[in-house]
Amino acid sequence: MNDYIASLIQTTCISLIGVVSIFPLTGMTGLFSFGQAAYMAVGAYVSGILAVKLGMPFWLCLLLGVLSCGLLAIIIGYPTLKLRKDYFSLMSLCLGEAVTAVLNKFGTITGGAAGLSNIPKKSTMPLIIISAVVTVALVALFKNSRFGRMSLAIKADELAAKSFGINVFAHKMKVYIFTSMIAGYAGVLYAFYLTYLDPNLFGWTRSSEWVIFLFFGGVNSLTGSVLSTIILTVLPEILRFASSARIVMYTVLILLVINFKPNGLLGEKELRIPVRKQFRTRTRG
Amino acid sequence: MVLFYVQQLINGVSRGAVYALIAVGFALIFSVLKFSNFAHGGLISVAAYAGYYFSTKFDFPPVIAILCTALIGAVMGIILNYIAFYNLQRRNSPNIFYFVSSITCGILFMNILTLMFGTTFYAIKPFFKNNIIKIGNLIILKMDIMILALTFVLLAALMLLINRTKMGLALRMVSIDKDTAMLMGVNSSVVITVTFSIAGALAGISGILLGANFTIDPFLGNMVVKGFIASVIGGLGSLPGAIIGAILLGVMEVIFTVLVGDILSPAIIFVMTLIFLLIRPQGISGHFVTEKA
Repeated sequence: MNDYIASLIQTTCISLIGVVSIFPLTGMTGLFSFGQAAYMAVGAYVSGILAVKLGMPFWLCLLLGVLSCGLLAIIIGYPTLKLRKDYFSLMSLCLGEAVTAVLNKFGTITGGAAGLSNIPKKSTMPLIIISAVVTVALVALFKNSRFGRMSLAIKADELAAKSFGINVFAHKMKVYIFTSMIAGYAGVLYAFYLTYLDPNLFGWTRSSEWVIFLFFGGVNSLTGSVLSTIILTVLPEILRFASSARIVMYTVLILLVINFKPNGLLGEKELRIPVRKQFRTRTRG
Repeated sequence: MVLFYVQQLINGVSRGAVYALIAVGFALIFSVLKFSNFAHGGLISVAAYAGYYFSTKFDFPPVIAILCTALIGAVMGIILNYIAFYNLQRRNSPNIFYFVSSITCGILFMNILTLMFGTTFYAIKPFFKNNIIKIGNLIILKMDIMILALTFVLLAALMLLINRTKMGLALRMVSIDKDTAMLMGVNSSVVITVTFSIAGALAGISGILLGANFTIDPFLGNMVVKGFIASVIGGLGSLPGAIIGAILLGVMEVIFTVLVGDILSPAIIFVMTLIFLLIRPQGISGHFVTEKA
């Protein structure tokens, strides 16, 4: 039972990193990506393969895994981010399929549908928890920075943002690369935590689950996303739902939220640390 | 050798016909409401199961089974409009909410089907006893001809409806500006409901035909992604463009399946679409949709 709780905490933390990774993209810039799990897959597989086949040390695998995600984000983002938001969302959806197809095809390297095993177990409980906390803090800083406010401007009105001198395309690219790299980081942690990978772990449902968590807590509230991730991951686990029933529950929740409380559970509210608030008022006064 | 490629071309066109049927329903909603309706896939799945019941369980003749499924699809379309989009329209929500709502609804429908029927495959009784026409060494399936013909007939009917009738005029008006249309005395919500019922009927027809062409499982509707790619190639929101795009996509897919194998072809199609977006984002028809200020 103790092991069970530990594994629950660790998987929750990893999916927390995933959900928080799409917050700057979806919550703040207004771009819907339904393929962020593909980046998780790329991060996981690149680092896993490097560790298993070439025996590279953990930190190098981590670095290369995250960097390859950034590279992929540049390739995908360049043609699609110039266009209407629908194109981006849809291509991200197809990206998920494409990545799964590649993973299945090159079985000699990736292990194919049978999976890649024997990855050394390097993700320990403290590492995962610290990573989750640091990621949340990083994204919170992002939200309060000038860069983050530029994102909010783009989400509210792209044309107006442009007229204020924001390079919308370059900004979207930066956000996309940043978030993809965090998703990749989650993937690396996941690979070295599970010690086993197969393509189905990173399917379409995982990507959409992340978006659903985000929406449920409130697209504009980081606190909301963190809370909803914890609640929506732990609750079905305790109630032991079948996976289809769980997805039905999620979707019904989302429809209710969209229809009746479109800003999510917490709306715009954020948990603020009082010390920082004092500090801020002092500098302003 | 030449014969082999001609055969592949025929296979490609017939696969494209299936995609075209999906793409038309998808493009219809896009041209009126300006969002990509992913719930269309959910409707297709539901319709496929309904089609299974009508044609195989109740043993209706094909024409009546198709009509019944179209009716179910239309009803589902209206229900979809009310559970997913009605409140958003009333509140004038941003475009992205429609998008999320539609994806969520699609997932919801498919998973309800999974809960009800499990993931076992069902098969619809074939519509034709002798499905094959042979011309020399070439093989053409009657089913494919029927799908292609039906697609064109439906498209023609739709174009007539949109361009020649009073309803179509109202529909085009709502697609340009909903609020102004209301000021001119057009009941926008009725027009939108009608659009959804038409799209639902199209989803119904594609559902039963897809079911007859492939096997039925709850995630059959995920083919809507192919419909989307087809409408991107053809130009989002353009109905004839969607059909051209779909047939191109079908041919491309079959060619790549022959060249690189079945597993990798989604990746190749993805890369092709990316390149296409880079070169000609407005699509073949050149119908360019931009975000309104």
